[in-house]
Amino acid sequence: MKKVFQTLALIALACGIGVTAQASTPEQDLQAFQNFFKKRFPSVEMDDYANGAYAIDPAGRENWEAIEEFPPYEPFIDDGKTMWDKPFTNGKTYSDCFPDGPAIAGKYPYWDKEKGMVMTLPLALNQCLEANGEKPLKYKKGPINNILSYIAFESRGQTTNVVIPKDDPRALQAYEDGKKFYYARRGQLNFSCASCHIQNAGMILRTEILSPALGHTTHFPVYRSKWGTVGTLHRRFSGCNQQVRAKAFKAQGEEYRNLEYFLTYMSNGLPLNGPGARK
Amino acid sequence: MIGNPKKLIGMVGAITVLAGQFIISPMASAAEGTSATEKGKALAFDRMKGNCLACHNIPGGAAPGNIAPALIAMQTRFPNKADLRRQIWDATIKNPESAMPPFGKHGALSEDEIDAVVEFIWTL
Amino acid sequence: MHKKLFFLITLLAGILCTGMTTTLLADDASAAKVQKLIDAADAARKEAASVGGEWRDTGKMIDSAKELLGKGDYVAAAKLANEAAKQGHLGYAQAMSQKDLKMPSYLHYE
Repeated sequence: MKKVFQTLALIALACGIGVTAQASTPEQDLQAFQNFFKKRFPSVEMDDYANGAYAIDPAGRENWEAIEEFPPYEPFIDDGKTMWDKPFTNGKTYSDCFPDGPAIAGKYPYWDKEKGMVMTLPLALNQCLEANGEKPLKYKKGPINNILSYIAFESRGQTTNVVIPKDDPRALQAYEDGKKFYYARRGQLNFSCASCHIQNAGMILRTEILSPALGHTTHFPVYRSKWGTVGTLHRRFSGCNQQVRAKAFKAQGEEYRNLEYFLTYMSNGLPLNGPGARK
Repeated sequence: MIGNPKKLIGMVGAITVLAGQFIISPMASAAEGTSATEKGKALAFDRMKGNCLACHNIPGGAAPGNIAPALIAMQTRFPNKADLRRQIWDATIKNPESAMPPFGKHGALSEDEIDAVVEFIWTL
Repeated sequence: MHKKLFFLITLLAGILCTGMTTTLLADDASAAKVQKLIDAADAARKEAASVGGEWRDTGKMIDSAKELLGKGDYVAAAKLANEAAKQGHLGYAQAMSQKDLKMPSYLHYE
């Protein structure tokens, strides 16, 4: 009898340990995440999530398609090409830093094992500039949006494919930190990113339809009518944080880079279609 | 005789100075004639204050959101006024996953403002 | 007569000066108190920031409180400083409450 109890207790213990120790893997997170949207918007084709709210808002889509006939981000692409082609003072160009360029958006963000951090495209661009004695660009507004627009445009059609290398636990940690950031409540208004873009995706906040989180990273940099210009992903992160009355974090700081790492991973499989135009 | 006026002036002066230390300026009186319900409605519709229309359809409000239940039949849904107040104060007490901001707990509305909003919502 | 007059004038002057000095001393005491409140508010703000929980308006409130203090509006400055301190504490508590990741129930894992 004692032996039976002991065995049962051992099994219970093992089960208990098994359950508590099992955190979800990124692959499981991705499945749960994408399945949520498939269930909520069964008529939307996967690739169309790259078009944000316009995938789920027919009236908005009509307006947007009209805008896309004369895309407001076009001048930025042109200026970006000029930037890409223009040699630095030392005679080198962006091509020397990025031999595969300019269609390189699909490589980012990635885990930089050597530096032990998430590498994003804007950060890589500035590292190139600084390595060549040029002044770095600001990360939210200004000319970085030109070169990012050009790179995004040239990279259209590439597939989101963020990799979390299994041979470096720090990469998984960065992903988990980004994930935690996404689901954590913040600001006086106590919203998490998920509150609006997962839990209430497709619902209407005052007059605006809340866009699904799936597809959020495919179309940056983005021309936002509200901004009257093109802006970066981290600029949008910053704005969102302020909208919930939280103090924004630093553009290209660790929080937003890890957040970008997690969020882009969640759109794995979706096509890149930047630069985008949004309300 | 001539000492008296001077003494009087001296005393008046002293009293004025001493009294001046203690005079509290009269509190600005609240807008006369605005009922709590009217104040509450103004707060509920104010984008910087309750901004309730962002998520709730409210009779009399324009361009409401549809994230949360419409605010009608409130006395049926919240027979106890205190429960309604608690919901506005911190909705996560009832539902930890609620998307509704904790207006009271986080000081987005003052306690007086919440009282007024409750009065208004209670009439819906 | 003159002695009496002299006495009364001196008395009045003395009362007025004491009154002014009392007011000035009271001012210094109030200013010091308010400064303490502002310092406490900033400490609370920094504590929230240390865990990534600072709210958007807390810093601005503290700056406004400092301005009000400079103008001598101690009551308003104190009120604002206290509000800012409350924001700092709430932001800290919020961040700490979110420390352990809770996946929402609406995401279904197989």
